[in-house]
Amino acid sequence: MASTRDIRRRIKSVKNTRQITKAMELVAASKMKKAQAAALAGRPYAELMAQMLAALADRVEELQHPFLVKREIRTRGIILVTSDKGLCGPLNTNVFKLVTDIKTPAKYAVIGRKGAQFIARTKRDLLADFPANDRTTFADIRVVAEFMVKQFMEGAVDTVEVIWPRFRNTLLQVPTLMPLLPLTSLQDVLAELRSDAGLTASATAPNAVENQMLFEPNAATVLEALLPLYVNREVYQHALDAKASEHSARMVAMKTAKDNATKLLGDLTLEYNKARQAGITQEILEIAAAQFAA
Amino acid sequence: MSLTLEIVTPDARVYSDTIDTVVIPTVEGEVGILPGHIPLLTQIEHGELRVTKNGVTQWLAVGGGFAEIEGDRIHVLAEHAITEEKIDEHAVETALKRAEQELSDAKNIDPQQYEHLQSLVRYAGVQLAVKRRRR
Repeated sequence: MASTRDIRRRIKSVKNTRQITKAMELVAASKMKKAQAAALAGRPYAELMAQMLAALADRVEELQHPFLVKREIRTRGIILVTSDKGLCGPLNTNVFKLVTDIKTPAKYAVIGRKGAQFIARTKRDLLADFPANDRTTFADIRVVAEFMVKQFMEGAVDTVEVIWPRFRNTLLQVPTLMPLLPLTSLQDVLAELRSDAGLTASATAPNAVENQMLFEPNAATVLEALLPLYVNREVYQHALDAKASEHSARMVAMKTAKDNATKLLGDLTLEYNKARQAGITQEILEIAAAQFAA
Repeated sequence: MSLTLEIVTPDARVYSDTIDTVVIPTVEGEVGILPGHIPLLTQIEHGELRVTKNGVTQWLAVGGGFAEIEGDRIHVLAEHAITEEKIDEHAVETALKRAEQELSDAKNIDPQQYEHLQSLVRYAGVQLAVKRRRR
């Protein structure tokens, strides 16, 4: 049996661990609330914009905007959104599984240190990496999106896709891949996202019958303004989403760690008391034996 | 027959209701929308948006963005939007001063940032105009 001193030492270390994980849980919980609110507030805007474009993509086939042209896919361009810090459970690992599934040639732009490390470690083609701190602003993300769009326009990549841990609720984050450019494949993705979010069908129902649509001032101008904004906004929304996912996952992971520590502490305390009691009994026996002998 | 109007900004869903008619400030001038409008996608300007429901007109200040009219549904995607009663005149004035100050101070800033500040100034101006016209 371990000596009482050893057990005491372990109890102390487990207590420390519990304190740290508890503090991290609280921090993550407060950050999570903010991040979740931000992600949820931005969703209607992003979804409505995607919906608008989906309707648009159907109607303006004759318009040759580079974002709408489907080309032969040689290299996929992927924006991978991860966290800067670890200790958030299986969040990043789950996202990486999606990346591992990609067998065709692809180039990556990564938000978050964890993702950059993964891409570098697995010898994939890393174009650029960007930090993912807690105060990521629209301007920060715009840089990422515009970088990727530039690659797309220059022909270095033939698609722009985003992989990020989609935030469903505090306990559930789903790694998701969404193609952004070219816009032709938008319709399917939209349907998927919508059923995922459990939105009603009435909000959707694109009216394919009425094929004429008026653009003011003209279609080219509207597209020119709407498309880049769409890409930037969409990437930004996913970054917010990933933030909400990260803090949620971290909170849950830390809560589990804290609970485990508490349980372990109970077991150790029991063992310690037993050892202590055994020691006392032993001493009494020795004293009694000594008295008899005298 | 009535219309459904939805105004969404990156921060929130500002307005969502069934209405009778709405006047939207587009880049080509104001456009009034009645039921049965042709499908339309247009860019909107900083300006005032008037919503009429049961004879009552409500004013909103909107920042630039897009409006889509399809069937009896109107979607407005705006950078900013606020209903008239929520405009805090004092707060807007301070925000306006701050943005103008930043604009005059900064000469060599990122053009995107410059544009953003300018849009803030214009939006503030629109908010004040909407608020003051009611008096």
